[in-house]
Amino acid sequence: MSNAVLQSRSSSGPARPALRKHALLALMVGTAGLSALFFIVRPVLPAAWSTPGSPELYLTGVLGALLCLAPFAFSIAKRSGRADSPPAWFIAHVAAATVGVALLVVHSGLHVRRPPALLLAGGVFLVVQGAWARVWLAHRIAGVFGGRYAAIIGTGGVDKERLRTLIDAKTALLTRLDREAQEALFSPALSHWCRHPLLSLRYVRLAKAESALVGRHGAVSPVLAHWRTLHIAVAFLFLAGLAVHVITVTFFAGYVADGGPIDWWHLAAWGAP
Amino acid sequence: MGRPVSRLALMIVMDRCICCKSCEAACKQEHGLGPHEYRNKVLWLETPGTPRVDLLTVTCQHCERPACLRACPVNPKAIAKDPETGVVAVDEARCTGCGECVVACPYGAMGFDPVDHHAVKCDLCASRRERGRTPACASVCPTTAIRFGERADHLAAVAREGRDAIEHDHFLMGPATVYLPPARRRSEREASPKLIALMADHSSRDVLRTVTREGPYGADRDRRTADRIVPGACNVCFNGCPVKFHIREDKVVGITGNDEDPTFQGRICPKSQMTLQLYNNERRLTRPLKRVGPKGSGRMEPIAWAQALDEIAAKLVELRDRHGPETLALFSGTRSGIITNNGYVSLFRQMWGTPNQESTEPFCSSTKNLAFGMVQGNRALPNSYTPSDIGSAGLFVYIGDNQAETRPVYFGMINEWRRRTGAAMVVIDPRLSATANAADRWLPIRSGTDMALVLAMINHIFARGLHDRHFCEHWMEGWERWRDWLDAQGYTPAWAAPITDLPREEIEALAEAIATADGCMIYASRGINQHSNGTQTNRALMFLAAMTGNWARPGGGYFNVSSATFIRADAPLERRVVPARPAVGRSPAAWLAAMTDADPYPITAMIGSNNPFALWPSQEHVRAAARALELYVHLALFENEASAFADYVLPVASGVEKGGISRASEERRIVWSDKLIDPPGEARSDGWIWIELGKRLGFGDVLKEEYKDICVFWDEMCAGSEYLRGCTSEAFRASPTRTLRFPMGPNGAAPETLYREGTTAAGEPEGRRFPTKTGKLEFWTEEQEAAFAALGLSALPEFYSEPEQVVALPYLERDGKEAALEQPRMFSDRPSYGRSARIVPGSDDSPGARLRARGFDTALVTGRPPAPHFHSWTHDFWQAQEMWPDLYVQVHPGKAGALGIEDGALVRIETADGAIEARAWVRDGIRPDTVYVPIGWGEKQPFNPWRPVNHLTDHTQRDPMADQTNLKTRLCRISAV
Repeated sequence: MSNAVLQSRSSSGPARPALRKHALLALMVGTAGLSALFFIVRPVLPAAWSTPGSPELYLTGVLGALLCLAPFAFSIAKRSGRADSPPAWFIAHVAAATVGVALLVVHSGLHVRRPPALLLAGGVFLVVQGAWARVWLAHRIAGVFGGRYAAIIGTGGVDKERLRTLIDAKTALLTRLDREAQEALFSPALSHWCRHPLLSLRYVRLAKAESALVGRHGAVSPVLAHWRTLHIAVAFLFLAGLAVHVITVTFFAGYVADGGPIDWWHLAAWGAP
Repeated sequence: MGRPVSRLALMIVMDRCICCKSCEAACKQEHGLGPHEYRNKVLWLETPGTPRVDLLTVTCQHCERPACLRACPVNPKAIAKDPETGVVAVDEARCTGCGECVVACPYGAMGFDPVDHHAVKCDLCASRRERGRTPACASVCPTTAIRFGERADHLAAVAREGRDAIEHDHFLMGPATVYLPPARRRSEREASPKLIALMADHSSRDVLRTVTREGPYGADRDRRTADRIVPGACNVCFNGCPVKFHIREDKVVGITGNDEDPTFQGRICPKSQMTLQLYNNERRLTRPLKRVGPKGSGRMEPIAWAQALDEIAAKLVELRDRHGPETLALFSGTRSGIITNNGYVSLFRQMWGTPNQESTEPFCSSTKNLAFGMVQGNRALPNSYTPSDIGSAGLFVYIGDNQAETRPVYFGMINEWRRRTGAAMVVIDPRLSATANAADRWLPIRSGTDMALVLAMINHIFARGLHDRHFCEHWMEGWERWRDWLDAQGYTPAWAAPITDLPREEIEALAEAIATADGCMIYASRGINQHSNGTQTNRALMFLAAMTGNWARPGGGYFNVSSATFIRADAPLERRVVPARPAVGRSPAAWLAAMTDADPYPITAMIGSNNPFALWPSQEHVRAAARALELYVHLALFENEASAFADYVLPVASGVEKGGISRASEERRIVWSDKLIDPPGEARSDGWIWIELGKRLGFGDVLKEEYKDICVFWDEMCAGSEYLRGCTSEAFRASPTRTLRFPMGPNGAAPETLYREGTTAAGEPEGRRFPTKTGKLEFWTEEQEAAFAALGLSALPEFYSEPEQVVALPYLERDGKEAALEQPRMFSDRPSYGRSARIVPGSDDSPGARLRARGFDTALVTGRPPAPHFHSWTHDFWQAQEMWPDLYVQVHPGKAGALGIEDGALVRIETADGAIEARAWVRDGIRPDTVYVPIGWGEKQPFNPWRPVNHLTDHTQRDPMADQTNLKTRLCRISAV
């Protein structure tokens, strides 16, 4: 430990970039507005801007998809120890995802009766839910402070023996997962997942059992407790859907075209009826 | 696992906490936190079924196995734990604001910044520890309920006291924070404490999302680091607490307690700190405004100062020509400051020629002022907050005084001393206040019957021969008359028991305890003063203290906040205009009839400050009066209810924007503040305004230009009294804390205990102990009897209560006209009108009985809100609103249950004069026949507007001697909304 006293860093300090409510809303509204403008003027644009497979909208889709990968890069960066400024990565993930999803909407040409529309719905959901959490849920998160006073003056109502068993199990597991780590301060990082996926999974399951015993989520509203889990789950589904879409339009163009013209770049037309 | 030897922690002593929330205020200013952003929070918990309050400070536990840290998904973690000190801190620069740590903490002690989106947590003020200082919360705590140090030392201290810390390691996380529970053990049958709905419900605080974080709040540390620190005084209330102003360029960026002050030692209440939100507030008035819409509309337009003052002066002259100078009423109060009230305004009044000048005293303390003047000859409180004076008392009795929430630092001292000496504390109050909660005994007296209790105790002490014969015989004029009168009246504990609703045995025991204690400090305040029997009850309490020898002795005395400040600025005799007509009473409440009905003569103009539209009783009448005024000039910091009715609103400076002295505290201390910053925009000091207005009316030779410099004005016009001799601005500045006590002796020091036997009162002939004609405490004299008789009463205390009581009790019947007679000069320092009165027994035809028959079955008590608020101006401080946002009504569960009212629900409260709504605070800590509603809320306040409780009060129910309004006992009925 250095001589410096460990301290909570000052809020609003120059070292920490922040995406405040108004900036976030401006990004959202601006992006939505530009998308809407596109669809308003689209009738007077060349027909290519109405055809998802045209080079113009194809490239729009590619750009949108690449931007939508930024959140996953953020997720990896903050867990890998390679992000100097996780908040900056966070802002990048918000901005890229918002613009990316908007580009995917443009790319779709609003053909919302086909399966890829589910992908769009997921993307829009992620953007809206993320913004909602930041703008509105943030106050509910702040409101948690002081809400668990019974834990200080009450009996707790926790099975301490079971808790001790879980902690002991975690400690034992940690000797195999990371010898240097202390159970008191440890949770698996990306490197642990890469090196010891099964051990990491077991560790996380023990940690979740401990959390459940402590009543971690029970003390807050279900929305507050699970919004982020939902966000991550939908994000992974979105990523999976994106991959499926890219694969199908690239290799199963015939299946996607369903008898119609294949007017996009592709490598194979498998799956034609 | 091994514990670090130097593991740091807070220790929180729960039964010292009074929920003043000073720690919250200190934390937010130290760390620049905005609304909803917490590192600590004090919770008010009630135990259903028991009158018990638990006050819990929630803050980080600095766990050995911190759940927050493990929940953080960032790598390396945004939360770290110092292996040496055990302090857990968040690195906000790495935090992405996911909130996982907040959800993970099982103690709910992880904060969150909802604006910049990151976790916020206590790091035991690392930045202060680096400079060798304690955490901000511990440094300010008025009652030393929060202590900082090594955990092992805390535990050792707990063990030395033979107590046990709360065992709260339910989650095997090894929390470091030590909680010392209340000494009063919780029985197994008691229910679990529950957070009151007013704190649990966040909806009322949602409005604070719109707050612009100004000043130090939300600013990074560099921008809130002072370039100079100057001692001075808090200017909010009557305590005059010494503080340090942290100035950066021309802004106040911090306000802390003055740790160099030997008495306060840096302890301070939250209000002082929250004046940061006064000095840095975008809603401050910055330009003079002139009304352009109908009265009450609030439609104003900015005008130049010269135009405003010219027009006001011209209108005043016109009204004087039509109605005489008495047509102008002048009203100022705590906000405008004691130098303004007793200096600038007083000079203006004398030269203008109106007798109608009042401050807030007729609503707060004019009964005790009058009683002190009659009994002791002046209003100086004799004792001091030192271990050898007040600290040596063997018993502390509070009656109608909630010192814990009104003077938190002084209460903290007493609480500390009594723990060391074993002194007992008894609180007599219809509700379990924070003071009562800390006491050994709480006596829930029926409101308005304190006089009966005190008279019975006096009689009992005489009957038992427990009085201090030496003091009675040598230092009390008229004591035998009281003794014989009380005996003849049969004022015994058995008589008082059904009146007060206290057991006879309790009354006797308390009387004997007071008489036999080796020093008893009796504290009274608004609970005694704000009654139509306030003068007589104060006199009775003074008698009780004196007859037991508890007057002007170390550890014995009668206190009723605060001490007089002894400022009196007088214009040269030849420049004074003697009013042709007496003052319309000695209260603004008496002015209302003069404003609306010209009774006894028209008051057509008022220059006023503070907020009459929240403070004055009978709000419907106040509004009617304001509409009737031909000129209403309002001096204000913020737009409020009053400014909507004003013809002109003049923006004023406050505190260190103008400088000056605090009011004298209860131990005769005054604190000087320099003018440190400019007021916002075109706002001006009150003195500047009165001088400029005076110039336009030809008063410039007395209200001189140079008096705009408050130092010059103070030295030349204010500090000339015997009691303030030597208290010059230079002497203040020579004091490191800008603090002086009076009266100063030749060596510059003031007596620790004033008027001790063998001493001579300041300015009195040698050997005269008290500054009265007889040199004794005067309880009955021929002159007093004549004065009382002129009103139809006697100087001997005959018990009466309020006309609206829940049971039939004697009450006062007043002559209907405001100007029935000229008030005896013993009761008024200037000619004024008064009304005669007679005491009539309670009957089936009394006002109370008639109201009870209509369903008004509950006693309404109004009073001070919790410590963070003071009257209406703290309602413009966002943090005070965050702490206590809503107007509330405290209701006993028995009554609430019968009416289907749940904690936090909206309730309608109605008296014969009007109705308001408030949120229910259902608690066992109040008499079942009583409800309590605090003052200060108003309809046009920026965050949580509510109709003020003074819609329910009655301006005609006043003490006949002091003209103080009864604000403590009215009949009301409540219902669920």
